[in-house]
Amino acid sequence: MNNSGRAGPLRTALLIGVAIFINQAMGAEAPATAPHGAMAMAEQQQRLDQLISSSTAPPPGVDPVAWAAIYIPPGNELTADRIALGRKLYFDTRLSKDGTVACATCHDASRGFTDHRNVSEGIGDHLGRRSAPTTMNAALFQSMFWDGRAVSLDEQAKLPILNPIEMGHPDAASAMASVGTDPAYQELFQKAYGRAPNYDDLGRAIASFERTLIFLDAPFDRFAAGDSKAISPAAQRGFALFNGKARCVSCHMINSSNPIGTDNLFHNIGVSARKQNFEALAHQALGALKDGSDVDALDKLALETDMSELGRFLVSKKRGDIGAFKTEQLRNVGITAPYMHDGSLHSLWDVLDHYNKGGETNPYLDGGIEPLNLSEDEINDVVAFLFTLTDSRFAAQNEAAMREQQAYAAKKRPFRDNALAHREVLPFEQRVLGPAGLK
Amino acid sequence: MKTPALLALALLAVSMHASAQDAAGTPQQSPAPASGTTQVKLCDNKTTVQVSKDAPKTREEGQKISDSLMAQWKAANPGKDWVQAEVEAHQVVTPEDNSKLVGTGQSSTYGAVTQQDVQVWNNETYKMAVYGSTVFHSSDELGSDIAVSCDMCHPRAANTHPETYPKFQPQLGRVALLRDMINWCIEHPVRGKVLAPDDPKMRALEAYILAQRKGVPLDYGKR
Amino acid sequence: MSDDMNDKLKIPHIRSVETRHLEEREALFRGLRNLDRRAFLKASGGAAAAAVAAGVTYPFHSFLPINVAYADEGGAAQGFNFAYISDSHLYVKKTNERFVRQLLRAVDDVNSLDPQPDFVLYGGDLAQLGRREELDMGAQILKSLKAPVHMMAGEHDWYYDMGEHWNTLFGPEHYSFDHKGVHFVVLMSVHEKDFWSARGMSPAERMHTVAGLDNAVQSAFEVGAPQREWLKQDLDKVSATTPVIVFSHSPLYKLYRPWNFWTDDAEDVQAILQRFDHVTVLHGHTHQVLTNRIGNIQFHGMLSTAWPWPYAPQGLPALTVQMNRPNPFDANDGLGDGSVAVHPDGLVDKLYNLWNRNPMQVKASYLSSGGKSDIPVAPTLSSY
Repeated sequence: MNNSGRAGPLRTALLIGVAIFINQAMGAEAPATAPHGAMAMAEQQQRLDQLISSSTAPPPGVDPVAWAAIYIPPGNELTADRIALGRKLYFDTRLSKDGTVACATCHDASRGFTDHRNVSEGIGDHLGRRSAPTTMNAALFQSMFWDGRAVSLDEQAKLPILNPIEMGHPDAASAMASVGTDPAYQELFQKAYGRAPNYDDLGRAIASFERTLIFLDAPFDRFAAGDSKAISPAAQRGFALFNGKARCVSCHMINSSNPIGTDNLFHNIGVSARKQNFEALAHQALGALKDGSDVDALDKLALETDMSELGRFLVSKKRGDIGAFKTEQLRNVGITAPYMHDGSLHSLWDVLDHYNKGGETNPYLDGGIEPLNLSEDEINDVVAFLFTLTDSRFAAQNEAAMREQQAYAAKKRPFRDNALAHREVLPFEQRVLGPAGLK
Repeated sequence: MKTPALLALALLAVSMHASAQDAAGTPQQSPAPASGTTQVKLCDNKTTVQVSKDAPKTREEGQKISDSLMAQWKAANPGKDWVQAEVEAHQVVTPEDNSKLVGTGQSSTYGAVTQQDVQVWNNETYKMAVYGSTVFHSSDELGSDIAVSCDMCHPRAANTHPETYPKFQPQLGRVALLRDMINWCIEHPVRGKVLAPDDPKMRALEAYILAQRKGVPLDYGKR
Repeated sequence: MSDDMNDKLKIPHIRSVETRHLEEREALFRGLRNLDRRAFLKASGGAAAAAVAAGVTYPFHSFLPINVAYADEGGAAQGFNFAYISDSHLYVKKTNERFVRQLLRAVDDVNSLDPQPDFVLYGGDLAQLGRREELDMGAQILKSLKAPVHMMAGEHDWYYDMGEHWNTLFGPEHYSFDHKGVHFVVLMSVHEKDFWSARGMSPAERMHTVAGLDNAVQSAFEVGAPQREWLKQDLDKVSATTPVIVFSHSPLYKLYRPWNFWTDDAEDVQAILQRFDHVTVLHGHTHQVLTNRIGNIQFHGMLSTAWPWPYAPQGLPALTVQMNRPNPFDANDGLGDGSVAVHPDGLVDKLYNLWNRNPMQVKASYLSSGGKSDIPVAPTLSSY
């Protein structure tokens, strides 16, 4: 690097060249060279180098007071050593029982820090029940997992490693045996936490690394800062709909203190109800209990069966939380398809179709979800707005994803129901009155 | 102590009330001027309607006659009693009494505050709140697509808590003023078109809602 | 890190969140297994699990079956359940489909009760402006209820044609019936003295005036002398030990006159009911959780399916535990339907099935003890 402190034309050109190269490289889906469809770990790390610095300063546009209040558990203040340790662990497949799965397998740097699958694939090609959310900006959530059962990344990071169908280590000791005996790790743990490797510090280190995965530099932010040309007129109309007729903002709160677009709450929008009704689900659980199952069997029932679809209810035990899942962030939503806790919606048009018809009717449906009567043009506008929330470092990838979704939506709109959306047929009408409906 | 200004207003209201009552009283039948029809006259002795003698003597028919008379009277007396009519239906809290200022004043340029000054202030202020009440109670005035008005959830502006604004409204993702929340309600529960901040209806709605919470201490930011 | 060390460093027991989650879930399933098997198997829905999880043993809406089959305790009365839906305020669908949808939601709720309630009470204000089409559509929707329906009239059903179409569809507006040893009386408590003739109001204007809760032009609600006389005669043949349950649209007591949370001759009606051991009054109109006791009479409100009312600024009965202040962004918050578990002695546990919230139950024992036992859980957000 030139140390003159002044960017000469040559250097600027070079930087632009590099930027173009990165964008092109990231525009295309990376070939899968690691197990379970992930990009090879070494290659992912190279990409990461191009994406982030280890700066922990508040991103531009984010309120510094809010930034300072972001929850970092005491004793795990961010340090370069902790981030370095966490980064190494994040890409280390030894954290899985069979050596095929790392954090980066399902939270792949080349795939929007998720895996672009409906539900994630763990060791032995086991499929889980839920879609992997992106680790980008995950630090800005108040709770982790789709049902919010972990309060911090530090806690979250430790769980998939021990989950039998994700990374599959039987216990913490087994996980520590796989990495803790490595002298390189022993040194890194010592530098990061001043003690020998242990499982809690492992979780803390991974969390520290994930706290650097902040991607909040999107065209929308430049628009919010006053550049009216930063996003298209369609996207601007979409933003007005987002705040108005389409009611998105009621749950996807977005502002400089809370930039990721979530209310951190849990809502039943009916996604689970599409696949099964909750009554039948509980009957199923009750049927299993009739034979006097032991607690282990019940636990399995909850973790690995359709009981998972009860969502937040399993954590809160509140009836209003049946079938409710955490409001996902909207940042980088263009490059983190598929959508919803089960990855059941392929495109953002599907997402808009889902909301436009008032979600999926069920007895626990959140009352804020109702038919929106959005026109096709209005749907296109809201989708255009959503694509402006992707960080500029992924501009090419975002563009490619938008084209792919557009092409898909032109052919398939499996969740569109205009009669419901335009309030000609009402939610509950056919459940109650049969196909003939109201006179 | 009742202030002269308020008394004046109240007297005005009572007299208007009385005239409205007289004018809108029950229909009376009077001798038929033309053969085959009966003339039905309103008790103001001016408004009339011709009714066929063959018309069925049903309640429904009777109601039609009465409706027709009322419609004529209202057309002939546009806006005559809107303040009184609104206040009779929806008691609107009266504004602060400023009559103690009568006879005072700090500048020789304008002299002392007069009885008339106080009355003007009072009357104009009250009228704005009363107009707000008519909008608040009318789905048509609000432009509702689904025949919903504010009073359906907020009788006499209950639970509108204007004293708590501005405050952070999580579901709007931002700090809301009272008018932002009014507009949210207009757009969603009421399903009408949002009002410009300086729209006379918006100003009047704010006036009415604030009037109904007279005396409650400001407590901005309260959830 | 050891717990000791955590304590010293004042580090929150973060780890325990996941542990607690697992423990609670284990307890949930243990609880499910330990339930009365017969009732348990009948229980319906994820809601059943919710009941147990919340430590609730009472009959819950959507999982009513738990503990509802009261043994015959020797008296004539048996325990049973009935459900209610109230205050739907229907416009025709093309005018306002939201209120229609919300009534449909309530019917869907009640139809999914397993087993079904003995009957469903409709608590009045089926229509918003008393029009034929509104009442006809409401009747069509209520026909799809699986259980038999008992209808009650409200002022919104009445003041366009003075009850003509309502009577045609549903029969007389006041009547009584007996069910499993309980004497039920349905009153028409929203008669108003004529305020419209002198003003020359059209039927539409009269209806519109009554439809405004805070419209002061209208008169106070009353049962009226002729109906009180009928009530006296109807009850003459009923013994004082027979449980009596009265349905009225307006509360049969005086709460807040400006909103007609009020029945003008309430004291006279209460006097007629005074000689009975156990009387329960269920009323609509107030669109909220509302609880009162006057002497031998226990009063319960019903939820609306259309919109919630705020609590009146004064006159709230001391026994009322308020429901949560509704969140306007959730159009169904503060709304719902509900059910009533009638004990063999005729007293009732009243369940408010609040949509999107935990249900609230107000037990007979709460009222009988003057609010000392079985206190319902207080909400987190009360009225301003």
